[in-house]
Amino acid sequence: MSITVVKAGLQTTLQGAPFSGHRHLGMPAAGAADCLSLALANFLVGKPLAAIAIEITILDAIFEVNEPCAIAVVGAAAYVRINGQDHPQHQTLSLKAGDKIAIGPGRPGCRTYLAISAEMHAERILDGQSTCLAAGLGGFHGRALQSDDVIAFAPESPVTEVQRTTPDNLRPHYSDDHVLRLTRGPETGHADENIVDHLCLSPYSVGARADRMGLALEGPPLTAPDASDMRSAAVFPGTIQLPPSGQPYLLGPDAQTTGGYPRIAQVIRADRHLIGQLAAGARIRFVQTTPDRATEIYREKISLLTSWLGQIKLW
Amino acid sequence: MSDDRPEVHVCDDWISIPLPDWHKIPAAQHILAASDHWTETVPGLDSIAIQFDPARLAPDQAAHIALDQLSELKRAPDTASSTTVIPVCYDAAFGPDRDYVAEKLGIPAAALPSWHSAQMQRVAMLGFMPGFAYLESMENCGNIGRLANPRQSVAAGSIGIIGRQSCIYSFDSPGGWPIIGRTPLSLFDPARDQPALLSAGDKLRFEAISKTTFDNWPREPAA
Repeated sequence: MSITVVKAGLQTTLQGAPFSGHRHLGMPAAGAADCLSLALANFLVGKPLAAIAIEITILDAIFEVNEPCAIAVVGAAAYVRINGQDHPQHQTLSLKAGDKIAIGPGRPGCRTYLAISAEMHAERILDGQSTCLAAGLGGFHGRALQSDDVIAFAPESPVTEVQRTTPDNLRPHYSDDHVLRLTRGPETGHADENIVDHLCLSPYSVGARADRMGLALEGPPLTAPDASDMRSAAVFPGTIQLPPSGQPYLLGPDAQTTGGYPRIAQVIRADRHLIGQLAAGARIRFVQTTPDRATEIYREKISLLTSWLGQIKLW
Repeated sequence: MSDDRPEVHVCDDWISIPLPDWHKIPAAQHILAASDHWTETVPGLDSIAIQFDPARLAPDQAAHIALDQLSELKRAPDTASSTTVIPVCYDAAFGPDRDYVAEKLGIPAAALPSWHSAQMQRVAMLGFMPGFAYLESMENCGNIGRLANPRQSVAAGSIGIIGRQSCIYSFDSPGGWPIIGRTPLSLFDPARDQPALLSAGDKLRFEAISKTTFDNWPREPAA
């Protein structure tokens, strides 16, 4: 009644829905870094779209299931092998006890989701079960999985009967070239010195400092707006801050809740799941949009996904 | 809209409302948190941000609703919250930067506990980590700067001080605040009804306790 981690990979965590409604307590969102891939994976095994799944980052990982179950793999992984045999992503796969799943490294892209029809045991804190690494809460003892960890399944886990394949037009394209749309931030500055224009003019790449908390961006340095009198204020996943170095910093799902560097831009909600696929070295082009247009884009995306997944939320 | 409404900054799923009068922020938080429009309400030091579901609300609608809700602020009484007392052990074992801070202040190290615990503080906001509290002292505190080299690990409960700001670490974490003591209280415990011990706007003061009292402090059961 469990799954064993044979090889844990770089940073493999239990992630599902983000923590919501607790940022005023300093509680980060956490949750799946690429919530769209999570939803697609969970749907293939008949689970709620934001149910807890295994999030695998960059390197390959191996698991062994200890009872029959169905799985699905969605994400950046180069391959999915069951007992050495290649299997496709985006499809419900039936496993028997003792089967070994090897999930290849994420290239291009960064993160892969392994959804399981059984309910994996994850610690419940506040309103969720995702892993908050900074505070060591939730998920599997609040930490990344290590080799030989055994994740228990709930005793009465229903075995799903669904057999699904994601339609071609809904399969995300994983790449090392990204376009992220953004709106101005509260400290963008005035129109005649609009720093967002500069951000959008140049290509950026993800630096070596890249994790679930945030990503250092490399590119032409920007002139930071005068922030000597800025007082710490709310930041969110997708906020782009500009420290005095002039190198922007893009916040990820585990972003702290407040910060004191100028908030020069905000990646729109419709594109935020892509942040979870940004690996060191990935290239980014930023495109400015308006908050109103961003709302339309979000609603269009949701409506497209609803035809396959039913009611869905991205975060 | 009336002229005295603050200028709101609008993103596609959150907005920021400047509130330069920080006395108003706890009341604003209270008003906004009571509404079911907002998935998050996050106080800053001189602003408050709210996040919403863009499938349900457009940004301008959100700004309009929030400002309407905040028009109540004028009538909101100043929240006269009671003062929380935080026990702190200022023993050298828990306050490795006691001498550094005392020197900056020009007082004997032995006088630091009584100097620090005599001050009234308010919780400016929570951030950085769950339950991590930023405090603002009502007094001028001299020129205490950040440590030149941040520590790899600062123990949960540690009290840091930089100028008139103090902080309380909620979890073991890296940090660059000079540390003068440690509280045995748990700043964040998800098992409690109110997981965070403090919230923005709270008034508090510190009370010195001995190392024996600290060591014998009843530990809350782990979550």
